[in-house]
Amino acid sequence: MNSIKLNNVLPHVFEQVSDLQSDVWKKDICFEKGHLYLVEAASGKGKSTFCSYVIGYRHDYTGQVVFDQKDVRTFNVNNWVNIRQKHISHLFQELRLFPELTAMENVKIKNDLTGFKTDKQIVQWFDMLGIGDKLDAKIGRMSFGQQQRVAMIRALVQPFDFILVDEPISHLDDHNSQIMGDIMMAEAKAQGAGVIVTSIGKHMKLDYEKTLML
Amino acid sequence: MNLVWKLLRQHISIPQFVGFFFANLFGMLIVLLGFQFYKDVLPVFTSEDSFMKADYVIVSKKIGMGSTLSGRSNAFESSEIEDLRNQPFATKVGAFTTTEYKVSGNMGVNGTSVLNSELFFESIPDSFVDVPLSLWKYSEGSKEVPVILPRSYIAMYNFGFAQSHSLPRISDGLVGMIDLKIFVQGNGHKDEYKGKVIGFSSRLNTLLVPQAFMDWSNQYYAPNEHSDPTRLILQIDNPANEKFSQYTEKKGIEIENDKLNSQKTTYFLRMMVSMVMVVGLVISILSFYILMLSIYLLVQKNSSKLENLLLIGYSPNNVARPYQLLTMFLNVGVLLLAWTILYFIRDYYMGFIETLFPDIDKGNVLPAVVLGVALFLLVSICNLLAIRHKITRIWKRKE
Repeated sequence: MNSIKLNNVLPHVFEQVSDLQSDVWKKDICFEKGHLYLVEAASGKGKSTFCSYVIGYRHDYTGQVVFDQKDVRTFNVNNWVNIRQKHISHLFQELRLFPELTAMENVKIKNDLTGFKTDKQIVQWFDMLGIGDKLDAKIGRMSFGQQQRVAMIRALVQPFDFILVDEPISHLDDHNSQIMGDIMMAEAKAQGAGVIVTSIGKHMKLDYEKTLML
Repeated sequence: MNLVWKLLRQHISIPQFVGFFFANLFGMLIVLLGFQFYKDVLPVFTSEDSFMKADYVIVSKKIGMGSTLSGRSNAFESSEIEDLRNQPFATKVGAFTTTEYKVSGNMGVNGTSVLNSELFFESIPDSFVDVPLSLWKYSEGSKEVPVILPRSYIAMYNFGFAQSHSLPRISDGLVGMIDLKIFVQGNGHKDEYKGKVIGFSSRLNTLLVPQAFMDWSNQYYAPNEHSDPTRLILQIDNPANEKFSQYTEKKGIEIENDKLNSQKTTYFLRMMVSMVMVVGLVISILSFYILMLSIYLLVQKNSSKLENLLLIGYSPNNVARPYQLLTMFLNVGVLLLAWTILYFIRDYYMGFIETLFPDIDKGNVLPAVVLGVALFLLVSICNLLAIRHKITRIWKRKE
């Protein structure tokens, strides 16, 4: 998968809004593999909505979302499963971790599916992000900032053409967000993947090639 | 799969599944038992008589108030037999011949005397008796006479006598154990014969001897007596033939309707078993409902986990599988346990049936196995589809 195009996409909720100023909604835009994008917006402008359209979680829009040449509305369940397993990785703003499982189990539940990384590599990331002592801690007992780091590791244990990170560092200090950004970029580079980061102001300090205002 | 199961088994309610397990077990057991019992007992009523073909009917004249008072005989005259023989529906006609002299007998098993009684014999033409001619013959002067006994004798003996006297039960294979001594008296002769029991008949309510013995003994012990036959045996091309029923109606002839009785019994048996099976099915359906409700509840309680699994790349099949395996596991458990219990219950009641009817076909548990597998498949497929449907709804964000 080489490109994600949004052709004149407008969420149903914004249909009544007359003075819509946006680089994304009702525009034709294209995200290409191998490039780094930042999508910025104030809250309520539809950041997470944008992510959920790309990941196939919601379809309440007009216009077209196109992967390569294919309109995603034609995708069936298997297509989406394939996309989520092998082509687009997503770090959810609300993380979507499992509080009943430990930090390591939360990552492994994904890695069991893809078989993409070794346990050693995963543990190494935990150490790099300063949560190496939390491997066996239940997610429910960890702070949101720690959970964000676990969610990032989980997002990286799969092959992808694009990685979509939704406000990844909202609860992280600059030091940790720098490490997280480095790990993510190294992994994206290794895979030749495109990176799309969203932010409501505080964002990872990366060399964004293009910034879009929602 | 391990982690997925660890996640999805959250909120599983053990009491609900135990409830389902036993409800389904009872339902399944009742259905299977009803069906198996029906299949096991049915041969009792439908078994063919090995000595008489099914298309033979036995007829006699109606005995009414009038004939009793007027002293009119209920025997068939030779002209009547001739008339019957000329009817197109009767392919073969034979008369019952009775003994004209005094007979008494002593029946014993293993040296223990069971029955002492005055008896009478009857015979029908040999062509109506479906026994190899090597067994069913009598040569003049021989002291051994082949006999066919009514089956009710043997049922009486097996159930009433054998158990209280700790004697062996008798089945068709063991007829040789019966010693039947026959004492005959008449025309100044007094002789003892040995009765050789060939087997038992449920359709002929009489002690049957070969025609050759009957002709000779009547001649020998009662040369001056002769009576007309009171019963005839007919071979009818089609027992449901209308002309035959019209003829018997007109002539006042009665048909021994043993077959009709067994049909009635079979009908009631079938009705009873059907009712029992319906009750079992209702229980099964309700238990299916319990299972579906608790699975739905479980899916509902875990819906956010399921949704997250789907969003991180698990397919609906992946996440449905743990619940599908769970229900399959329960269903298999129910089926195996139902079969096991059924096996013991069947063992128990087959003991009774074999006491009453030693010759009954032992049958097998195939009906329960086949029906069990069919029910299992039906229930399981419904379970699998319902779970799949529920997960698909989560995928489509309708839950």
